Amino acid sequence: MSPYFLLVPILLPILGGLSLFFLKIPEEDDHRRNVLLETIVLLTSAAVWLCLLFVRHKNAEVYSFIRGFSIEFRADGLGSLFAGMVSLMWPLVMLYTFDYMRHDKGKNKFLAFYVMTYGVTVGVAFAANMTTLYAFFEMLTLVTIPLVSHYKNHDSMFAGRKYAAYTIGGSGLGFFTVVISTLYGENGNFLFGGSMRGGSVSLLLALAFAAGFFGFGAKAAVFPLHGWLPTASVAPTPVTALLHAVAVVNAGVFAVMRLVWYVFGPERLIGTPVQVVCLMAAVFTLVFAAAMALKERHFKRRLAYSTVSNLSYMLFGVMLLSPAGYEAGMLHMLFHGIIKMSLFLCAGAFMHNTGNSYIYQVNGVGKRMPVTFVFYTLGGLSLTGVPLFCGFISKWNLVMAGLSAGTPWGIAGVAALIVSAFLCAMYTLSVSVRAFFPIEGTDWYRDRADVKEASLLMLAPIAVFGIANVLLGIWPQPVVSLIHTIASGGF
Amino acid sequence: MLIACMVFGPFLCGLVSFLIGKKNENARDLFVIAVTAAELLLSFLLWREMPSLTIGGILPSGLTFTTDGFRSVYAVVTALMWAFTTTFAKEYFKEERENLNRYWFFVIVTLGATEGVMLSADLMTSFIFFEILSFTSFTWVIHEETPGAVRAGYTYLFIAVIGGLVLFMGLAMLQYAAGTLSFADLREAVLSSERPEMIFASGVCILLGFGCKAGMFPVHVWLPKAHPVAPSPASALLSGILTKVGIYGILMTSLYALTDHEQFGLIVLLLGVVTMALGALLALFSINLKRTLACSSMSQIGFILTGVGMMILNTAAESEEGAGIAMSGLMLHMTNHSLIKLTLFMAAGVVVMNLHVLTLDEIRGWGRNKPFLKLSFALGALGISGVPLFNGYISKTLLHEGIVEGIHEIHKYSGMLSVIEWVFLVSGGFTFAYMLKLFICVFVQKNKDEKRQKRYDQNPYCMNKASTAVVFGSSLLMVVLGQPFVSTRLAYRMTGFEEILHFKAFTLENLKGGLISLSIGAAVYLVIVRRVMIRKDSYVDLWPKGLDLEDLVYRPVLTEILPTAVGFIAGIFGENLVLRPLCKAGFVIVSVLTRLLESTLDALLLFLRKTVMREKKVIGAEKPHPGLLRTLATELLGASDSVASNFTFAMMMTCIGIVVILCTIIFVIF
Repeated sequence: MSPYFLLVPILLPILGGLSLFFLKIPEEDDHRRNVLLETIVLLTSAAVWLCLLFVRHKNAEVYSFIRGFSIEFRADGLGSLFAGMVSLMWPLVMLYTFDYMRHDKGKNKFLAFYVMTYGVTVGVAFAANMTTLYAFFEMLTLVTIPLVSHYKNHDSMFAGRKYAAYTIGGSGLGFFTVVISTLYGENGNFLFGGSMRGGSVSLLLALAFAAGFFGFGAKAAVFPLHGWLPTASVAPTPVTALLHAVAVVNAGVFAVMRLVWYVFGPERLIGTPVQVVCLMAAVFTLVFAAAMALKERHFKRRLAYSTVSNLSYMLFGVMLLSPAGYEAGMLHMLFHGIIKMSLFLCAGAFMHNTGNSYIYQVNGVGKRMPVTFVFYTLGGLSLTGVPLFCGFISKWNLVMAGLSAGTPWGIAGVAALIVSAFLCAMYTLSVSVRAFFPIEGTDWYRDRADVKEASLLMLAPIAVFGIANVLLGIWPQPVVSLIHTIASGGF
Repeated sequence: MLIACMVFGPFLCGLVSFLIGKKNENARDLFVIAVTAAELLLSFLLWREMPSLTIGGILPSGLTFTTDGFRSVYAVVTALMWAFTTTFAKEYFKEERENLNRYWFFVIVTLGATEGVMLSADLMTSFIFFEILSFTSFTWVIHEETPGAVRAGYTYLFIAVIGGLVLFMGLAMLQYAAGTLSFADLREAVLSSERPEMIFASGVCILLGFGCKAGMFPVHVWLPKAHPVAPSPASALLSGILTKVGIYGILMTSLYALTDHEQFGLIVLLLGVVTMALGALLALFSINLKRTLACSSMSQIGFILTGVGMMILNTAAESEEGAGIAMSGLMLHMTNHSLIKLTLFMAAGVVVMNLHVLTLDEIRGWGRNKPFLKLSFALGALGISGVPLFNGYISKTLLHEGIVEGIHEIHKYSGMLSVIEWVFLVSGGFTFAYMLKLFICVFVQKNKDEKRQKRYDQNPYCMNKASTAVVFGSSLLMVVLGQPFVSTRLAYRMTGFEEILHFKAFTLENLKGGLISLSIGAAVYLVIVRRVMIRKDSYVDLWPKGLDLEDLVYRPVLTEILPTAVGFIAGIFGENLVLRPLCKAGFVIVSVLTRLLESTLDALLLFLRKTVMREKKVIGAEKPHPGLLRTLATELLGASDSVASNFTFAMMMTCIGIVVILCTIIFVIF
């Protein structure tokens, strides 16, 4: 199969989304639009899987600006993992989105951008060099700003601006890295183990790496550029769930993984001050965000803080600069995606069905929406790292990687991980306890027969992610060994 | 296969019972009883067959199960406790039927998980089932959904989570340092490990993690709160079995990983002694029936932990006899305490289901005309107090003997151990005192409210036949196990320590220890309980509320101080100190620079206009002279005026840029 087939899953949703602006489907015509979009998304996912199966490790060069800077695609191990993960989630969340946005104004525009984001995300995953990655990274920001500001009230406009400022500012830092890595490496191409020339790290390269870590890390909400994520949780749930818990934020982690393992090379960075600084930032973020989540009273903002914390788990794993850490980071990227999807979708179902959005309003809702909250509880347990759920597997790997790093930083990180996991239990499980065991007199939903279980369209994605959460927790071996292969440069 | 049935069967049956319960509650109750009875039957088969089981390919490292003497005994004890409490619960829940479906589902699932821990052959398997039962038993604590229950539930849940995570950390460290978690290989792996400090650290983590469930000081805080609010059949299980699950983990770590690690032994011993003394004190001052029993559990856990500590210390001092005696004592005391608490909590449950209150003043005198209940409670009390001929006596004597052996063999610590011996005896005395307090209050004294006493006396009914059978039947075990012939056999089965078979329980030496304890207890009862606690004929609450470790330390630290501090740091250093100043500084620098550049350009233009490009004053010409660059642009390139002016500006900027670059090069090179 021609390597240019890689363009299909990137362009199809972008064009499909754009076409919605020209097709003039009326807002009320849910059926036609939904079928069209779901078809596009499903076709894209199919195309992604065709790419993963048949066009791995072939370069598709599209355009070259000047020598070195070119737009080029390629599906390698890490990219395949990211693209594969996203491609499984998007069609499911689309279903949820259709139902969630049923009564909203301007949903044509919303859904158009939502589908376009899919293509851009796949573009990030399949980018073969720093220039392409950077281009799609910026596009990802631009295409999601309208989604964040969808409600057009004061809060969401502010959130959109803050989001733009943080991530575009971050990418600005990242641009420095792009230029340096293109000039000093093999044209910024991604090679497993690093493409930089020369054995040691000079001050310039160290600075470039730090700029890349914090710049691209802005999307992964690493301290001090984490502020946008909790603010952006005013967006509709499909955005906060799929984009701000998986696609966009994981793109940030993904870019850092690319930087470490495919551009700079871990051997070059290990033991340098820049590693310590980055590790420190990640370790601090993962405790701090968990503590903030505990203090937060808004349901989705709490989960957003939890995402901030968990993204730093992944960054911590990556910045250990060992294959084990890398593997654990990837594993957590995948598993956290699954868990957070189910948590956010449940939170969204709650907000959608009751119209409430604060934690204290959850009391007693578990008796009205039992299935939703059972899956929420399973997700919460998993995020804490309880065995039988997939969060345990990735956390176990992270802890083992941290211990085997053998440095004080590794051990400190592991301790931070445990503290953060405990806080995580407090902020996720207290919601479940409230939902199922309301204190007498605060059972808000005892007489509210209008509050019903989430609709089937919403419940189906929740159930799929919830079951995946348990299945991968009990039987993780296939996934773990696949990721092990990727982490050692195979696949 | 047998093990698979015992461990995974209940999980399945839990689900089935949930489904049945949706249709027919009575059928569900019978089904649940049948399941526990079947489990009991299976556990007897296990006793004979001693199978083992490995399931590979799932979870991080598969599941492994095995059976040995100790495990088989505990499998039976577990199943027995479940069968008895479930039968009893049928009557207990006859009035309050809310949420029972949920309750039974979790009770049955916990049974499977508990058997899973008790039969596990590696620490990972223990950990997995331990976590399951941690979370499933949470629903017991919060079952009644009163404010007190919810608060206790939170405490329980978070202590369980902390325990789980600390344990997780410990296991990870052990796995990293030793390379295995399987009990069979652990001993060798630890001996040949290159990182003994990490193994020690992991041991401490595991101790704390399992200690959370065992109710060990300083993570005991959930215990006195959770037991009183849980339904009584569940309290019996919480106290009788779930605490033992914690002990099981500590015991296995001590037996296989840190067998002769002196420091670890000391830590276990000291924590055990503190737990023992503190629990006894709290139990003495409590005026709530179930809370007294809960604190008593804590104290007995302290006795067991003391035994664990002595076992390690004796092994470290190469005193095999001491180690064997301590081990037999602690394992026997585990079994005894499980069964005793089964009886006592069921008896307390009888009180609760009839009266719905637990305060001593209110239930006082209720049991005066209920002979079966009275006898059962008395047997339980005698057992736990360590009165000769009842089961607690033998195990406590063995534990005591273990300490005495230590005093003789471990010269380094003989002073400290002598003190511990006295703490042990006094705590034993306290046990007797608070059991005496409960018994006399409920079954002997008259209520100070005479009408109420009359009402109590008129109604001799307290429970139906099935409940009587299980409560009384369980209390008979105290007597059976109180016979040295039975006890030593059982201890031998659990420990494999042969000399225990020749242990003489009723020598003068051993009786002396027991009698000292009992006389201390009698004295304490007469002085403290009768003189201090009973004022104006009613029990005074001397429970030290202000010293509650949870309200004093844990809750504020975790929910307030930590988030506030970290949030403060992040707020200050994240947005206020770093991001905002950076942005502001950026804006200031850029604006100053542009201003500077602008004014320089203006000055330059002015300068040029005054010198090179001075405009010639042409009289009558309305159009000003376009200037040199603009003329060049318009005439040579034929560009329009606006383009030309832009071009001018661009040229100017280019020139300046070149100059700057040249300057830089000169500056850098020379």
